[in-house]
Amino acid sequence: MKKLLAILLSVAMVMSLCVFTASAADVTEISLWTYPIGKWVDEATVSDLLADFHAAHPEIKVNVEYLDYTNGDDKVNTAIEGKQAPDVIMEGPERLIANWGAKGLMVDLADLIPEGTYASVVDSCTSANGEVYEMPVCMIAHCMAINRDVFAEADALQYLNEETHTWNSVDDFFKAVQAVYDAGYEYVGCIYCGGQGGDQGTRALVTNVGGGTYANAEHTAYTYASTENATGLSRLYNQQGINFDPSIVAGDEIQNFVNGTFQMAFCWNIGAEINNADALSFDVLPMAFPSDTTPSLQGGIWGFGVFNNGDEAKIEAAKTFIKFMTQDNDQYAKAVTATSFAPVRDLEGFAPNEYFAEYSLLSPLMGDYYQITLGWTTARTEWWNMLQRVMDTDGSVDAILAEMTAAQDASNAAAK
Amino acid sequence: MAEKPSQPQRLLPWYAEIREEDTPLPEKTISVSKKTHRLVMQENIAGYLFMLPFLLFFVGFVVYPMFMCVYTSFFDATMNREDIFIGFQNYVDLFNDPVFWKALTNTLIIVVVSVPVTCAFSLWIATLISKMPVAATSAFRCIFYLPVVTGSVAVTMVWKWMFNNYYGILNYLGKGVGLLDKNVNWLGDPKYALGCIILILLTTSVGQPIVLYVSALDNVDKSLVEAAHVDGATETQAFWKIKWPQMMPTTLYILVITTINSFQCFALIQLLTSGGPKNSTMTIMYYIYYNAFKQYRYGYGNAMGVILAIIIAILSAVQFRMGKEK
Amino acid sequence: MATTNPIEKRKRNKRAASIASWIIVCIFALLFTFPLYWIITGSFKVKKEIISSTPVWIPSKWVLDNYQNLMGKRSAPLFELFGIAGPTGPAAIRWLVNTVFMAVVSMLLTCLTAAMAGYALAKKRFYGRTLIFTLIVCAMALPKQVILIPLLREMSSLHLYDTIWAVIFPIVGWPFGVFLLKQFAEGIPTEMTEACRIDGASEWRTFTDVMFPMIKPGVGACAIFTFINSWNDYFMQLIMLTSTKNLTISLGIATMQGENSIDFGLLMAGCALASVPIIIVFLVFQKYFTKGITMGAVKG
Repeated sequence: MKKLLAILLSVAMVMSLCVFTASAADVTEISLWTYPIGKWVDEATVSDLLADFHAAHPEIKVNVEYLDYTNGDDKVNTAIEGKQAPDVIMEGPERLIANWGAKGLMVDLADLIPEGTYASVVDSCTSANGEVYEMPVCMIAHCMAINRDVFAEADALQYLNEETHTWNSVDDFFKAVQAVYDAGYEYVGCIYCGGQGGDQGTRALVTNVGGGTYANAEHTAYTYASTENATGLSRLYNQQGINFDPSIVAGDEIQNFVNGTFQMAFCWNIGAEINNADALSFDVLPMAFPSDTTPSLQGGIWGFGVFNNGDEAKIEAAKTFIKFMTQDNDQYAKAVTATSFAPVRDLEGFAPNEYFAEYSLLSPLMGDYYQITLGWTTARTEWWNMLQRVMDTDGSVDAILAEMTAAQDASNAAAK
Repeated sequence: MAEKPSQPQRLLPWYAEIREEDTPLPEKTISVSKKTHRLVMQENIAGYLFMLPFLLFFVGFVVYPMFMCVYTSFFDATMNREDIFIGFQNYVDLFNDPVFWKALTNTLIIVVVSVPVTCAFSLWIATLISKMPVAATSAFRCIFYLPVVTGSVAVTMVWKWMFNNYYGILNYLGKGVGLLDKNVNWLGDPKYALGCIILILLTTSVGQPIVLYVSALDNVDKSLVEAAHVDGATETQAFWKIKWPQMMPTTLYILVITTINSFQCFALIQLLTSGGPKNSTMTIMYYIYYNAFKQYRYGYGNAMGVILAIIIAILSAVQFRMGKEK
Repeated sequence: MATTNPIEKRKRNKRAASIASWIIVCIFALLFTFPLYWIITGSFKVKKEIISSTPVWIPSKWVLDNYQNLMGKRSAPLFELFGIAGPTGPAAIRWLVNTVFMAVVSMLLTCLTAAMAGYALAKKRFYGRTLIFTLIVCAMALPKQVILIPLLREMSSLHLYDTIWAVIFPIVGWPFGVFLLKQFAEGIPTEMTEACRIDGASEWRTFTDVMFPMIKPGVGACAIFTFINSWNDYFMQLIMLTSTKNLTISLGIATMQGENSIDFGLLMAGCALASVPIIIVFLVFQKYFTKGITMGAVKG
């Protein structure tokens, strides 16, 4: 019996020690970690893209790892701690610039950005010290969505413009919600505040309805505690059919929208419609957020960043990979199609799926990308906590403004 | 040999009759002068050699990180930057941190509620199922252990659905039966959220105690119980006066394990509420995770861990002391 | 009549009580079985039925889509031996292999080291014994989360980061097993070991031929506990493992989620897959389990 044990143990030990595969001498191996951006979560798609790269550059091998949003940050942070950070990572400025970039972990990619990339996008990918830590690949304007069938039934379509996907005015938005509520739908829209997931929706809603801003132009301080925003939130608070819910986050809201519990979703983009296509049983109308001026939509920008792990060869290989994926228009189109979002420079004839034309109408409405303001992590936490506290107030503008100010002060304190 | 109710003698082999209490170690029966130097050396060496494999892992992967944790709690440590020595500042900050006190209160509530309820509930269920035919007892024992083996991810997913404000089964049935007139946001209401967490914790905690209690009940000396019945004692009296004292060691073990587990309840909160709403389900464990992995304040998190460990150690020591006295 | 009336009354009460107890236990049992039932039926449902706002108790169509999705989404070499990767297959299978490997090896290593250490702590007198025991008790009280960062730094300097051993070694180091087996070993009278020594047996022979068989139930309990605890230790796995091919099953399933869209069908299929082996282990080893922990707890 113990002989058997001893043999088992030694075999196990030997087996594990031989896990390391010998790599060929002159192949540089780099690791690519990607967050789930459209189809970049799908192994088949990514392998296909990588196959093109490997054919063109046989001296570089790319190993892919897939992250998810729940645990991805923990994984990357622990990898950095464990001195095993990846070489290339695919995500957005709020992580690449504001988080890891600010900690000095990333490589400057300014020389990789091709001509024609939208200036505002490049701006968002530039750090406070002038270095560009992200090579942008795709972008999207986060919008909201309504259940067109229900709105038609409640005769609420008169309050919006279906051609431009905008609301006629903020007042009309509230009239529409009232109409749907009166038609018998108890839950029209929901301000989800259970966590930070999808908070771009609630931020866009409040700032557009109120007419205020979220952060200042230099991205050094937060400005959302204004009378305008407080008034907007107060109106939302007092509107029948719009509730606060601290037990759900955006993912749950989308699910509730798709199964018909809610009639509006505040966290929506083209990816959401594609992913839920087989479960949707009604017509979805993507909309801009209600505004009395031009709506300002929250942008999402995703791209590649390169970690500086001290290995020059790997950094060069990583840059080669990024150049391959983004320089040539056809290859770039392929990469962007995989993300299901829009390209960051003009690409002729780019129409990857049936929804693209409709959603791209909203792209020009993209506003300031302020997710790179200092102290962003704390600010996000403060925001949804503030919404929870607002739920308990009486809904008056003063009470809400007080809560907002408290949250803003805490965020600005962390922005130092 | 007189039957002593404190020892389930049927379970011990024949040589156990030689000793009736805990065996004292050799040198208490052999006087020091008789014990040769060689024997002492041999015993020492044997002791160390037997401990060695375990010690390697223990010191390397538990004690060393433990000391590093205490050590780092006196520093301002974060990612990718040298640690800065700040003495007791972390502990002072903790003292002034209202979220920390809320977390501590919540943690204590969870422990104070779930430990007795777990023990009482599992004892009750165990008494009920131990009277059933063997097949039924076995089946029910497995069933009550299922949440433990199903895994936290699965369990929380199902409970999240059950507590869903809009179409969860609780609201659905509650309204159907007439107990509720509108949806109750179980996980979104600070009044109920902690209770829901405790409820889920209970379902995952009672499995092991039930198994333990069923076996302990099986091992109770039946002859004593029979004698009590003949003397006219009711079921309840027989239970409390005879069975309960014999199960004391089991109860103590369950109390200690359940206390430690409820202090360390983490996955539930991470997957369901993230400490909300309004910090009503924030526990020390989750706050440590939040500080260390979301805010990158390693020193601060470690300081909290040290405080939590001290509390658990004191509680466990108290429980042991109370158990020993009985 | 003095003797039959109380006995008959007791019998009647017993019958009523037993019916009541069956009902109560069945109600609770329903509550406890429900999560598993929901997960398994959910894994065979179509997406619409999973997220439907009215509960779908029995799927109208039993589909295998979720399992196909689970198997097809990622691939990894099924095993690796001496640096040569095995055939590539669904990553979910590789994750199961990893998890089983981790649980079994932790179990074996822990039982061996804990048995030896428990015996030493209970029976042998050596310098530093009390210190070690105090350290053990302190270590059990400390929450695992806080030692993770130092452990992580340590593992990376040992080049064990992102290997399964980074998860296994801390489990073996965890002193719960030693504590349990010490209690057991204390119950074995010293006469036995004395007798062996007088007979001239070496320490190792004494241990393997006499002590070990006698604390077998304790070892059985330790084995089951370690297996289940290592299987469920999500956070440690999360921190130590990153490459797809090294993940464990619960970790792997979590990585297949997209942004703001949880594929519940996939998640349920994965959970069902993850819980099946461990339930089987529990059922098969049930009798060792229950006999074992009784002895430990009662003597404890």
